[in-house]
Amino acid sequence: MPVDEHPNKAAFLQRVREALGRSEPLLHMPDHPTLKSALPRQEEKVRTVRARVEVSRARNIKRLAETATEASWYVHGPVAAEDAADVVAEIATGLRAKRVVRSSEDVFRRVNVDGALRRSGISATVLASGRSRDRSTLKALAFEADLGITGVTYAIAETGTCVVTPRKGVARLTSLAPPAYIALVEADQVLGSMDDYFALTRLAHQKSRGRVPTYVNFISGPSRTADIEQTLTIGVHGPGVVHMVLIA
Amino acid sequence: MALCATCLVDQFFPEVGVATVTLLRRLNVDVTFPEEQTCCGQIAFNGGYRTEAADVARHFMDVFESERHVVLPSGSCAAMIKVYYQELFRDDPEDLERAQALGEKTRELTDFIVNVLEVTDVGSPARGLVTYHDACHLLRELGISAEPRKLIEGVPGVELQEMPNSEVCCGFGGLFAVKYPHISIAILDEKLEAIRASGADTVVANDCGCLMHMRGAIERRGLGVRAVHIAELLAGE
Amino acid sequence: MAKVKSAAFKKASARAVRDEGIQHALTHVMDHFTEARAEAIATDYSDESWEAMRTRAAAIKAHTIGNLDYYLDLADRSVRRNGGHVHFADDAAAATQIVIDIAKRHGVKRAIKSKSMVSEEMGLNDALERAGIEPVETDLGEYIIQLAGETPFHIIAPAMHKTRGEVSDLFHDWLKSAPTSDIARLCSIARDALRKHFETAEMGITGANFVIAETGTVVIVTNEGNGRMTTSTPRVHVAIAGMEKLLPAIEDLPLFLRLLPRSATGQRTTSYTSFISGPRAASDEDGPEEFHLIFVDNGRLNLLKDEVLREALSCIRCGACLNHCPVYRKVGGHAYGWVYSGPIGAVVTGPMTGMKQAADLPYASTLCGACRDVCPVKIDLPKLLLHLRHRHAEGSPRDERTGTWMERLYMRRWHDAVKTRGALERSTRLGRLLQKPLVRRGKLRSLPLPLVSGWTKDRDFPALAPKPFRQIWKEGLGGDSDAG
Repeated sequence: MPVDEHPNKAAFLQRVREALGRSEPLLHMPDHPTLKSALPRQEEKVRTVRARVEVSRARNIKRLAETATEASWYVHGPVAAEDAADVVAEIATGLRAKRVVRSSEDVFRRVNVDGALRRSGISATVLASGRSRDRSTLKALAFEADLGITGVTYAIAETGTCVVTPRKGVARLTSLAPPAYIALVEADQVLGSMDDYFALTRLAHQKSRGRVPTYVNFISGPSRTADIEQTLTIGVHGPGVVHMVLIA
Repeated sequence: MALCATCLVDQFFPEVGVATVTLLRRLNVDVTFPEEQTCCGQIAFNGGYRTEAADVARHFMDVFESERHVVLPSGSCAAMIKVYYQELFRDDPEDLERAQALGEKTRELTDFIVNVLEVTDVGSPARGLVTYHDACHLLRELGISAEPRKLIEGVPGVELQEMPNSEVCCGFGGLFAVKYPHISIAILDEKLEAIRASGADTVVANDCGCLMHMRGAIERRGLGVRAVHIAELLAGE
Repeated sequence: MAKVKSAAFKKASARAVRDEGIQHALTHVMDHFTEARAEAIATDYSDESWEAMRTRAAAIKAHTIGNLDYYLDLADRSVRRNGGHVHFADDAAAATQIVIDIAKRHGVKRAIKSKSMVSEEMGLNDALERAGIEPVETDLGEYIIQLAGETPFHIIAPAMHKTRGEVSDLFHDWLKSAPTSDIARLCSIARDALRKHFETAEMGITGANFVIAETGTVVIVTNEGNGRMTTSTPRVHVAIAGMEKLLPAIEDLPLFLRLLPRSATGQRTTSYTSFISGPRAASDEDGPEEFHLIFVDNGRLNLLKDEVLREALSCIRCGACLNHCPVYRKVGGHAYGWVYSGPIGAVVTGPMTGMKQAADLPYASTLCGACRDVCPVKIDLPKLLLHLRHRHAEGSPRDERTGTWMERLYMRRWHDAVKTRGALERSTRLGRLLQKPLVRRGKLRSLPLPLVSGWTKDRDFPALAPKPFRQIWKEGLGGDSDAG
């Protein structure tokens, strides 16, 4: 259901055009490399990206640990998948977390976070709507929680970034509202640079005929501000404590 | 080589012109002074009065365009000719071409000595502890910062002591200094503090604009620092 | 639109120069920014590669601005395909009305705001209040400024001129918090106060750092997390973007995401970058049900029309030109009298709001060029300032001209005096005669001439030398050499 065009659009664009010294719209797409790259070329590009990510995996993970640490993440691992849940439980215990919310990416099937937390006496709530939970209650649950845990879609070594893509089973607030946050990063999710990520994103956009995720977040460390006297303070509106668990 | 003295040197600081001639002659340069020269037009250009600036700039090109090398003891005037004449004559292809040709053979003094004459020891008898101020147009329009330092360091009796933030503007800015004297002075205060912090007894710069501005406050306040043009230091008079 | 007080630049700048608090903050903060920027760049890049990045970014922005009608159309179609609404507002009033209409339709009582410079242009907060909607700024700096009833002092550090004591007093007055000098405590007071707004606000208003035309994606770069809150909890999200904020495609972004945080705060990356492409999908767990993007002109067309000034539309609002400007570093942001300050403010304020009232700004620069050297998109700010001065002196329409008759007279006299050697020699001879009664030891302690007398308030001015260089040359220095 396409949304209506704004009534002022045509006149607005015409004024812009005239300011640029033209009276007619362009007949063709302007020549710009990142816009021009058609599907086959983008597929080729992404194949190169994937191959590079594959061979550079060990180096990228090492770099990610460095850049993430520099960005004030607490970095754990890489640990084996069967040990990762215990690492999460240990962090949660250390934080004295009582109310834990998590999302439901695939990684939670491989890493039994719920089990490990339960053994430590902590119960985790999946912050998602379903048979037993109405969407309207999610906000309150997120704001009451003291720890949020999510998987990621990718991690970026260049900047110490976790890419979190809210969707079904992944609420926007899980990684945002609680004062502490844990991201679970699997080795094959680690990319080298932002260029890698955006090459993949554009291909996905082209293949789905223009559809993109409604919301994506780059999370690169704790919430911070320096708005008072340029003094760095951690944890304003988002989590002040952020842990990244790398899973081999 | 033709010397463009610049109007500031010609009318207010002739000793800088004399030093420039002494220095260049010591380096066996045949110096000429085209006597029809007046001004490069920068003051009008910076004020926005491009009609007047272009008229004066055309006279400047008439005077100098037949010369092989044009040398100026000022980064600011050199930048006007090399960089801003292109902007001034943007819509005038004929004069633009003349301006480009003249720009290519125009050099600021220390640029000429180090990069054309390929000399860094100019045989100056000067002595003292000096600090160097990077004049903005020399540094950012012409990219010259190593040349004057090489020449200063090449003087056996002189020690170069860098000041903090030598590349920060002194607050002169031509018209700016008369239009907003309170801001101009406030910026200068920081520069004078940096000079003091260097511990040097002399501050050297390549532009009489900066020097006139710094010296004006140094003398008014009776500060014990000399502000001299690099030509004077290198001539050693 | 927010009031323009740029005509008072002279007075306001004089006040700022004398204000110890402002001077202290400026010195402290500016050094912090410039050092952090230099270090952040040097950590990851060589001078050459950083330079190449700036060149590429400048080319991409120039290309986008040069085809702006195409990219606006593309962005509009993309956002609508994503299920979002797009609006085109000619001026501040139109943009404001669009926001108010959306709010009214949803029965919004309170709107939370993440930082948006365009909304500052619009004076949106005042307008919302008048319409019975309570706006709450959620960026800590903006929140402080809102409580203080001021405008941002700096593009990215809006409250940098406020001390912790002043912030504590503001919080005490407005939030009834106990006074404290602990900055972490102050942050947590603000956090608690804003949390309840995040939970309950019905509408979120943000700016946009970039808008990607091909995918219809609004990109928001923040550190505190308020941008994420504002785009997550309310039912409606309204993003307001200057019409120049576009980039063609998503793969243009990494370059700008590298340039912006390093230039702005000296960070490798900010804590959060959010990519919003329309309202939430039906299957999404949370997020606004309605998404609006408002493209705002509000005077940008005047920059676009001028082939030289057009370059200013490449600005990505990092604030580096402010931090490196010797003038900004002395007068601060408020003296410029509107929303944008420093070199970029001196360029855009006149064309965007009216040339005459901002005529002092293009002259409030030493043309030192430090701004151009640090600009991540290589805007040639000195060139643009010189171009504006030209328009003020000689431009058409004539009513833009602000040069006084006295200034014009000076320029005319100067021109006549340097037009030929003969004229120069005659006029400087006269000058030597006239200055005689004023000269003391080669100096003038006062210049009794209108327009230039300010020089000698705190400085001496050199007298014309007894003998000009040309005369010394003629009398012997030139020797036998051909005088050319």
